Amino acid sequence: MKSAQRIAAVNEAAFRLGLREGMALADARARYPALATADAEPEAELRLLEIVADWCERYTPLIGLDTPDGLFLDISGCAHLFGGEDALRRDLQRHLMQQGFAVRAAIAPSAGGAWALARYDDIFCVSVGNLKQQLLPLPLAALRLAPDIVASLAESGLRTIRDIADLPRAPLAARFGATLIRNLDRALGHEEETIVPRLPLPSYVTERRFTEPVAREDDVLGTVAHLAKELSRALERHGDGAQRLQLALFRADGKVQRIDVGTSQPLRDPERISALFDDRLAVLADEYDPGFGFDVIRLSSLVTARLDPAQTGLGSEDEATELAHLIDRLSARFGPSRVQRLMANDTHIPEYAMRAVPAQSQPPQFPGIKEETAFDSLLPARPIRLLTHPELVSEAVAEVPDGPPVRFRWRQILHEIVRAEGPERIEMEWWRDEQGMAPSRDYFRVESRTGARLWLYRQGFYGGRGEPRWYVHGMFA
Amino acid sequence: MAAGQPEALETLRQTIRTDRGFSEETSLPFGVSALDQKLGGGLAFGALHEIAPSAPIHLAAASGFALSIAARARKKSKSILLILPDFAGYEAGYFYGAGLDLFGLLAARLLILRVPRARDALFAMEEALKCRALSCVISEFAGDGPDLTATRRLSLAARDHDGLGIVVRHCTSNIPSAAATRWAVAATSGPRDRFGGLGKTAFHLSLIKNRRGPCGEWTLIWNHHDGTFACAANPVGLAAPAANRPDRAARAIAR
Repeated sequence: MKSAQRIAAVNEAAFRLGLREGMALADARARYPALATADAEPEAELRLLEIVADWCERYTPLIGLDTPDGLFLDISGCAHLFGGEDALRRDLQRHLMQQGFAVRAAIAPSAGGAWALARYDDIFCVSVGNLKQQLLPLPLAALRLAPDIVASLAESGLRTIRDIADLPRAPLAARFGATLIRNLDRALGHEEETIVPRLPLPSYVTERRFTEPVAREDDVLGTVAHLAKELSRALERHGDGAQRLQLALFRADGKVQRIDVGTSQPLRDPERISALFDDRLAVLADEYDPGFGFDVIRLSSLVTARLDPAQTGLGSEDEATELAHLIDRLSARFGPSRVQRLMANDTHIPEYAMRAVPAQSQPPQFPGIKEETAFDSLLPARPIRLLTHPELVSEAVAEVPDGPPVRFRWRQILHEIVRAEGPERIEMEWWRDEQGMAPSRDYFRVESRTGARLWLYRQGFYGGRGEPRWYVHGMFA
Repeated sequence: MAAGQPEALETLRQTIRTDRGFSEETSLPFGVSALDQKLGGGLAFGALHEIAPSAPIHLAAASGFALSIAARARKKSKSILLILPDFAGYEAGYFYGAGLDLFGLLAARLLILRVPRARDALFAMEEALKCRALSCVISEFAGDGPDLTATRRLSLAARDHDGLGIVVRHCTSNIPSAAATRWAVAATSGPRDRFGGLGKTAFHLSLIKNRRGPCGEWTLIWNHHDGTFACAANPVGLAAPAANRPDRAARAIAR
């Protein structure tokens, strides 16, 4: 920075010796040759800030990052769970200090006011009535202004918030910028400031706090079952169903584990919700480490959709929902990308003609399925099994240059061809012809003496550039 | 048994089936009377069946035979689950949706599950057999497939929920199994069409194990227009079982 190495942060001992941030490293070393230094790592610091934010989620889900070293927590409605706002602040400060952080925290009716009080004052908890009073004696830097604006304000003799609080606003804005007036209004609570949450806010949340941390898997699963019932009651009141659920497990030592489960249809049946988490936890058994136990277990619904109650027959489960539930369970167990449906692609290249899509993202009913399907005899025959990569065959001998081979060797077995159909020419896309390979393929459907039917193609032509090559691409029934 | 008892037993069985919500049909007929007779009416629902190719080159025929059963089982609007462990897919390729209309199957009816290990395939198959929204569950196993305990669990799950389970092994094996039937399938040349092409798909089936009757071998031809099987006339004439050999008896007397 400015072609000199500068100090980014100092610890208490260095502070006492008189070293400050922004000082050139060479000057500091000149004063104290035996100075211990380490490189600043902004990414590691950001990760640490996110870990602390994760930990603070036990107080409220609405947390915003105030880089590089602060957090905004919106605790409206959460404070009663901890016995009051001040008790929450003391609990948070005590826990973080136990983990080795130096913490300053303040609670105020506005985010800007809280920022100012945390960094520039010793008052910890302020209510709406005396917010303005507490903010007035603070310096202007407490309004989150850029240093040059603070400097030019100082030149005009304005140093504390009291100095500008009663001045006419238009000339101030004209001279020092609109940010000054906006931040002042935000700090005093005259303008709304929203905190940008770090993680998407769930629509429904239920949680359970434990005085003794729970570590046994049975207890965790039992808690999940209880939470699922509470969540389903909340969902039912609003007529919603959950499509994406998250289980957040807050460990006693600070780490937060989140387990996500998706569903294909909106769901609110509590047994099914806990069955999905049972499956997922069974798979994650190795990575899921309770450590000393979980303090807080929270079940939230991140994505919800409208679920209207449907009339079902007596004792019969709707087949579509049963299939959807099976797909959800298998997706929770193996991952959504492993449960697939096949869809046709608009291309004639055989290996790209079918695409596998996750079954969870498909609508449950295919409106076009008819009971009887007519076999379209005009379609060229395609094999029922296709190899992922066409396999090269050796010793392929053809009678005529355009014709099928008479015999070939594939996977060490020599096949003698009795009958063949073809050729079917498939030209590759012209824009893929980079290495000058002949892109067209002549496909043959051949039957060997053993009765097996294979789908074989020749790439290249006899008499053209280089020798043509034969590949087996698929097998017929 | 008295004359009226088999019917009474049958109606009782039917009542139990309807109470449980099972469908009325108990087996899937092939349409070939010689085969259906030996199977006791057809391929049993509520059971596990095993299919294996008689040689590795015939794996596609074995899976095709499994698909032809699945395509005709129950309602045509229900989905079919195919379970494929990763290794089985590397060896033998994956199901290609474009080729399925040979069996009258829409690609939209297939639900494919790719599992990392054979053990997971067994778990998934058991769970899927309990789901009544599937018409059939087909699972492939390369290498050693399910053993006696595993097949017993699967057949119990199929029986309790009236599901149809098919295990396709990649090679014939002598592992004892609790499946209701065991087949070895090979592809054979079918009757030629008059344009000189390959003709119809034909399977040479050997029924190796059959709980409901004797074993046997048949050559079946698949007609993809109707979705039915036809039996091919046996090319090799088999001698009738000789119970009485008068010439031999005469020779014995002459000696």
